[in-house]
Amino acid sequence: MKLFEYQAKEVFKETAIPVPNSVLIESEKELEQAIETVKTPCVVKSQVLSGGRGKAGLVVFTKTKEDAQAETKRLFSLEQNIKQILIEEAVNIKQEIYVSITVDPYLAKALLIVSKEGGVDIETLASESPEKIVKEPIDMREGLMPYQASRVAYDLGFSKEISKQLKKIFLKLYHIFVKYDAELVEINPLFITQDDTVVAGDGKLMIDDNSMFRQQRFEMQQSDYKSEAEFDAAQEGIPFIEFDGDIGLMCAGAGLTTTVYDLIHYEGGTIANYLEFGGPNYKKAVESMEICLKVPSKVILVVTFGTIARADVMATGIVDAIKRLQPDRPIVTCIRGTNEEEAVKILEDAGLEPIFDTEEAVRKAVKIAQGGSK
Amino acid sequence: MSIFIDQSTTVCVQGITGKEGRFWTEHMIELGTRVVCGVTPGKEGQTVADRPVYNSVKKAVENHDIEASMLFVPPRFTKDAVFEALEAGIKKIVTIGDGIPLHDMVAIRQKAKEHDAMVVGGNTSGVISPKLAMMGSFPHWIERVYKKGNIGVMTRSGSLTNEVTSMVVEAGYGVSTLIGVGGDPVPGTRFAEFLDMYEQDEETKAVVIIGELGGTMEEEVAEAIKEKRFTKPLVAFLGGRTAPKGQKMGHAGAIISGGKGSVEDKIEALTEAGALVAERPRLVGELLEELNVPKT
Repeated sequence: MKLFEYQAKEVFKETAIPVPNSVLIESEKELEQAIETVKTPCVVKSQVLSGGRGKAGLVVFTKTKEDAQAETKRLFSLEQNIKQILIEEAVNIKQEIYVSITVDPYLAKALLIVSKEGGVDIETLASESPEKIVKEPIDMREGLMPYQASRVAYDLGFSKEISKQLKKIFLKLYHIFVKYDAELVEINPLFITQDDTVVAGDGKLMIDDNSMFRQQRFEMQQSDYKSEAEFDAAQEGIPFIEFDGDIGLMCAGAGLTTTVYDLIHYEGGTIANYLEFGGPNYKKAVESMEICLKVPSKVILVVTFGTIARADVMATGIVDAIKRLQPDRPIVTCIRGTNEEEAVKILEDAGLEPIFDTEEAVRKAVKIAQGGSK
Repeated sequence: MSIFIDQSTTVCVQGITGKEGRFWTEHMIELGTRVVCGVTPGKEGQTVADRPVYNSVKKAVENHDIEASMLFVPPRFTKDAVFEALEAGIKKIVTIGDGIPLHDMVAIRQKAKEHDAMVVGGNTSGVISPKLAMMGSFPHWIERVYKKGNIGVMTRSGSLTNEVTSMVVEAGYGVSTLIGVGGDPVPGTRFAEFLDMYEQDEETKAVVIIGELGGTMEEEVAEAIKEKRFTKPLVAFLGGRTAPKGQKMGHAGAIISGGKGSVEDKIEALTEAGALVAERPRLVGELLEELNVPKT
């Protein structure tokens, strides 16, 4: 689960990582009071979960109150339906750096990543100028040691004054990484101000979804999701991504769903949504189809090849879903795996035409989507 | 022959009295797996499929010679169960749990390395040597997937493995040992760490890897081929070629892979090392033929 900037900064503040003064607003009316607190110039920051907010014009520096008002008005009226804006004090920046902590799957350690170049996308920096990045592996049984944190700062050539502050921030960041079962905690950019203090310019905290049972502090609200379908899927724990193409995918298994996604593109089709109801969700055919039906599409393509996720159980679920939901669009089914003989019978009895070959099913769905026969 | 498990490997099942544990233990035995006992705290004295159940792994190893442990344990208790098996000296552990906390997996992999042990999983169906033995939850009776033969298969995925393997079988091949390393960002053991065993195994004539976008496991395989640590033919199928950049799709890969991890990167690395990459599942069998891999 990815947190909003303001939530990450709340955590930073509690942990005593310095952040600029800010006020979160939910309407234009609240701006006046926010500016009284943070003063101008200020930064108007949309709270959305997508990256690249600056480039997209969703984070704007404003010099005057009038500018701030105009930007707030513009952002709140955007089509993407921004719910919250963070009004943040502007900082006199001397330098921007990058810092994050994540997991190194090969080493089986945590990894502190620091770069003297901040504000840019770390993946870009990693591929273009890896020499600018320092990586410090952390044994998670011992945790980040103070000497490591300090060494990283000095190795990057920072002054004693700055290094002392960075060391503290690295240690606190590691504390957050552990406390919140984070996949990633990142400050990008981390500001060094004109008077040599270090302040978090942004905040990213991603909590591992598998650890949510022991991380109950943050819960997503319906308003945090882009659509009702996305919210419903999250509630059910069903992996789901919405696109704007023609074919709704309702497949089982992350790898198979991704492969069907590729095959549709090879055949010249487009995707309306990615939905994966395998693994622990294989009995959720009704819920899954309900979600798929909330997305505009011309056809729903069901592809499965399960072992524990039994074919007969899934076929029964699909037939049940069709009976209950009366879908307004054709369904193409390709259900294989454990007890597939029974699955075929179940589908045929319900008037469906079971297909055994994934590519054939994909071609059929693409044909329907392109206006061909059912 | 096969790798990791065959009919002589002695197996203990942790979580044997649970619904899933019981069901799959019976299927493991039915295939030929030498399950010697089970462990569930508080259930000592009971039997499952005529095998004795113990309160702890320590107690189990005191009473039996155990080479491997199969875990049917919920994700949140997996770390504890793996540590228990490692402490008892077991060197091969398979865990199918889907939803193991990320930081727990880091601890599991670290501990396994220290014990010089292999933990396979989580988020996998396990390991199967068709017609011989399995640790995990495979419908081993489905002939068009689990046919015995001479192709080693390694995968990050479940359903996709059935899809690809069925194509390998359709082309006239069979499987020596199939290893599901699992779909989590931190698997206990990585693709390249099994290559040595496949290299040594006389029966295995070629290896198929079923990968995906994200992480660097496929790149590590390419590295092993380049360094001649693995010299048999290798064919890969990779899902997510057309996935939009930056979109987390399929199994979660590594979070920061330093510019690596896209399917293009993986194809480039593997091709450069001399492996073949199939564009579609159907083509995996054809590529094996192209490499002159014998069918028997």
